[in-house]
Amino acid sequence: MGSTEKIKIESLTYAYPFSDKNALENISFSIMPGECVGIIGRNGAGKSTLCLALTGLVPKFFKGRYSGKVLLDGEDVRQISYEKLVTKIGLVLQNPFSQITGARITVYEEVAFGLENLGIPRDEIKQRVEAVLKALDLWEKRDENPFELSGGQLQKLAIASVLVLQPEVLVLDEPTSQLDSGGTKEVFEIISQMKSQGITIVLVEHKYEMLVEYVDKIIFLQEGKMIAFDEAEKIFSLPEIDEYMVGEPIYTKLCKKLNLKNSRGYYPVKFSEAVGILREARCGSDR
Amino acid sequence: MRVLGLYVERDTPVHKLAPFTKLMYAVTSTVVTFLFPSITVGILFLVLSVFLNTIARVLKHLIALLMVVSVLSISIFLIQGMFYVGNYTPLFSLLRLTFYKEGLLRAVVLVLRLFNMISAFGILMLTTRPSDLIDDLVRRGLSPNVGYVIASVLQIVPQMLSTATRIIDAQRSRGLEMNGSFHKRFKAFLALIGPLVLGSLLEARERALALEIRWFEARTKRTFLKDFSESKR
Repeated sequence: MGSTEKIKIESLTYAYPFSDKNALENISFSIMPGECVGIIGRNGAGKSTLCLALTGLVPKFFKGRYSGKVLLDGEDVRQISYEKLVTKIGLVLQNPFSQITGARITVYEEVAFGLENLGIPRDEIKQRVEAVLKALDLWEKRDENPFELSGGQLQKLAIASVLVLQPEVLVLDEPTSQLDSGGTKEVFEIISQMKSQGITIVLVEHKYEMLVEYVDKIIFLQEGKMIAFDEAEKIFSLPEIDEYMVGEPIYTKLCKKLNLKNSRGYYPVKFSEAVGILREARCGSDR
Repeated sequence: MRVLGLYVERDTPVHKLAPFTKLMYAVTSTVVTFLFPSITVGILFLVLSVFLNTIARVLKHLIALLMVVSVLSISIFLIQGMFYVGNYTPLFSLLRLTFYKEGLLRAVVLVLRLFNMISAFGILMLTTRPSDLIDDLVRRGLSPNVGYVIASVLQIVPQMLSTATRIIDAQRSRGLEMNGSFHKRFKAFLALIGPLVLGSLLEARERALALEIRWFEARTKRTFLKDFSESKR
């Protein structure tokens, strides 16, 4: 096949059991290795379903009407054994509390759980768990009960439990939705760390100001259909974006109001760029 | 740690024994005292169990457990001492109630059996983390699914209790009366049970996903993080 894409989705259409409505409809896109891609859209747009499809849980766990293909390194996720799949792609969900398996009573054991299931040798488990806990600043919490951690620490634990499996792709479905600003910052720092290690990242997020700082591209979904797949500034400069009521970064909103665009002809999405453009506009008006 | 169970953290040789070994001791000690209902056998196993609890430095906790059943023991002495069918030799009278030798001896055997059972299982419960016991049983052939159900109940039930407390607080802050007549309490119970059950069902689905993405359904040979010397295979 000779494909170099890490993830390739071809005409994916999916409907949950007992539902006439397609949760995803004719979705196609490709993600290159090491790319960080954001998914945005309103509630019910199909963001979480797309995450489940990327990880193979749709249709392996959730049955229903499924057509099209999700290819991971050129291989259909439906054909990949689960043992291989969990080490290739990891999923972090939005509720940190419900991602704790409840099968283990310390943070250390919780992180080791997936590796135990995979039959990894004990010494290697110890090495990998220690490395991940230290990288995510959870080592000091290793003997604590997971259920006694704060929301931010729980989400970090959920990420650690997935990262310890050393996946090549990490899918995060609104990982900061239940976190305060400190917890959100910590999660994004981890994402940045993973990105610099070359892990391909797919991230559903509503905190656009943070999202645009990290992603290379954005997938914009609306009622199960893909409206656009492009760079953040192009997505948030779409003329019809306001009609979809999906929102935008606050800096973009401000620049739209003042009709200030960057040199490429798009509204700025990142804080630093918006500040530069606003400063430039102020200097221009002073003159 | 908020986990259901009686485990007491200590670093002793008894704590380091394989959970299955301790389970086998508890079962054997209980079964033997039933098979050989004599005072000598009862005392022998009770002394052994108390000795092991002392080595494990959990004797104080064992005594607390034995105190709980001491009320039951008193009733055994009263009932057997007075009404045992084999009663023949009066021993003493108290407030016009006659106690018989045969009945009191029978009561000693029964109470020894009860104390022995508590002490033997006390070694298991007080020195073994529930998750370690389940892991050891899975290692020896118990289905991982059954093991998970038991382990998760021990972990998740206390969390459900704290969720229930949060829901009660939220309902109270909205003016729901929690005290008073049976009718009021029943209404409050309905207001609690709905959000608790629905919330738990939603969490259960996500927890199932969390297990799936960590390959809980693995058919390959699992690794067990903890190793007990007697459990090596």
